[in-house]
Amino acid sequence: MSWLTKQIQKELWSPYGAGVLLGLVGIFTVVFANRLLGASGGFENIAGALGKAVAPDLFNNTYFNFVMPAGLSYAVLLLIGIFFGGTLGALSSRTLKVRTMDDGQWKQAYGPQLWKRWLLLFVGGIIVQYAAGIAGGCTSGLLISGGMLLAPAAFLFMAGTFASGICTAKIIYGKRY
Amino acid sequence: MNEYILALVLGVMFGFALNKAGLTRYSTIAGQFRLTDMAVLKFIMTALVVTMIGVYPLRLLGVITFPTVPSTYIVGNLVGGLIFGVGMSLAGFCPGTMTAGAGEGKLDYLVPGMLGFLTGAALFGLTYDKVFPPISKLLNYGSVVIPDLWNINALLAVFVMALITLVLFYLIDRMGWQRQQKKLD
Repeated sequence: MSWLTKQIQKELWSPYGAGVLLGLVGIFTVVFANRLLGASGGFENIAGALGKAVAPDLFNNTYFNFVMPAGLSYAVLLLIGIFFGGTLGALSSRTLKVRTMDDGQWKQAYGPQLWKRWLLLFVGGIIVQYAAGIAGGCTSGLLISGGMLLAPAAFLFMAGTFASGICTAKIIYGKRY
Repeated sequence: MNEYILALVLGVMFGFALNKAGLTRYSTIAGQFRLTDMAVLKFIMTALVVTMIGVYPLRLLGVITFPTVPSTYIVGNLVGGLIFGVGMSLAGFCPGTMTAGAGEGKLDYLVPGMLGFLTGAALFGLTYDKVFPPISKLLNYGSVVIPDLWNINALLAVFVMALITLVLFYLIDRMGWQRQQKKLD
C-alpha cells in the first residue's frame, strides 16, 4: 500500500505507466459508455452556448443547432472532468498552485514577457481548435480515440501533426533546435 | 444523467493521466517536436496499444460493439493535422492538456488558452458550412477501422501494431533515436 501511495504522490510518472492508465481509461470509455474520449468537441458546445447568448441570430446555424449542439453534453462533462483530473493530479503531488509563467523552457524559447505568452497561447488556441474542426477531432478525440480503435484517420492526423509540429519547432528554435 | 456522471469520472481519470505524464507542460510538448523528449509519443502509443488489446477481443467475442469511429477523409485529416501541429508546437498545448493544465492552476492556460479555444470553436462553427463539406468529401472512407477496411484479421492487426510500437520504443530508448537537447540560453 505504501508503494501505491508513494507512486500517487509522485509528480511525474514514466510515460509508459501513465500511458497504461490512459489505455485502461480508453477501455472503460468504450465498454461502459460506448463513447469515445475527446476535448475539442466540448469547446464547440460551450462556444455555441455562449454565442447564442450574445448573438442569437449569428449562432443560429446548422452547426450549433445540429452538428455540435450548443449547451451541456457528454463532451462538456468530459471536459469538466479533465479539468478536475488535472486538479486532482496536482493535489496528489502537492503542486496545485495558481501561477503564471511557470515553464523555464518557455522563457528560453520566447523570453520572459507575460503579454507575449498570453498572446501566443490565445493565437495557438485558435489555430489548434480550428484545425481540430477540420480534421474531425483533436489529440484526444481523433488521435487517441481513433487510434485505439485503429481508425486510419488517427494516423493521418498524427503524421500531419508531427510533420508540421517539428517544422514549426525548427523555425522557433532556429540554430538552437 | 448516468452518462454524464460516467463522462465526469472518465474525464477526471484522463486529466489525471495527462498531469502525471507531464503533458500539461510546455517543455514536454516542445521537447517532443524537438525530438529531445519522447514522452508524448510513448504515452500515446502505450495507451493506444493497451486499449486495442482490451477492446478488439471483446468485439470479436460479440461482448461489445464499437461506438462511432472518427471518420477517415484523407485530405481533411491530414490538412487538419498539419495546421494543428503548427498551433500545438507554437503554444505547447492541445485542447485536453490545456484543460488539465488549467485545473492545475496555470492561469496562462485558464485565461488566454481557454479564450483562444472558445474563439477558435466559434470561428469554426460559423464557417463550417463553407469549409467542412467540401474538404470532408475528398477521399472519404467514412467511419471505418483498418482491419475492416483492408479486410485483415483484427487480432493480427492489433498484434502488428503492438510489435511496431515495441520496436519504436526500443529504437528510442536503446538505439538513440532521442536527440540530445542543445543548451538554451
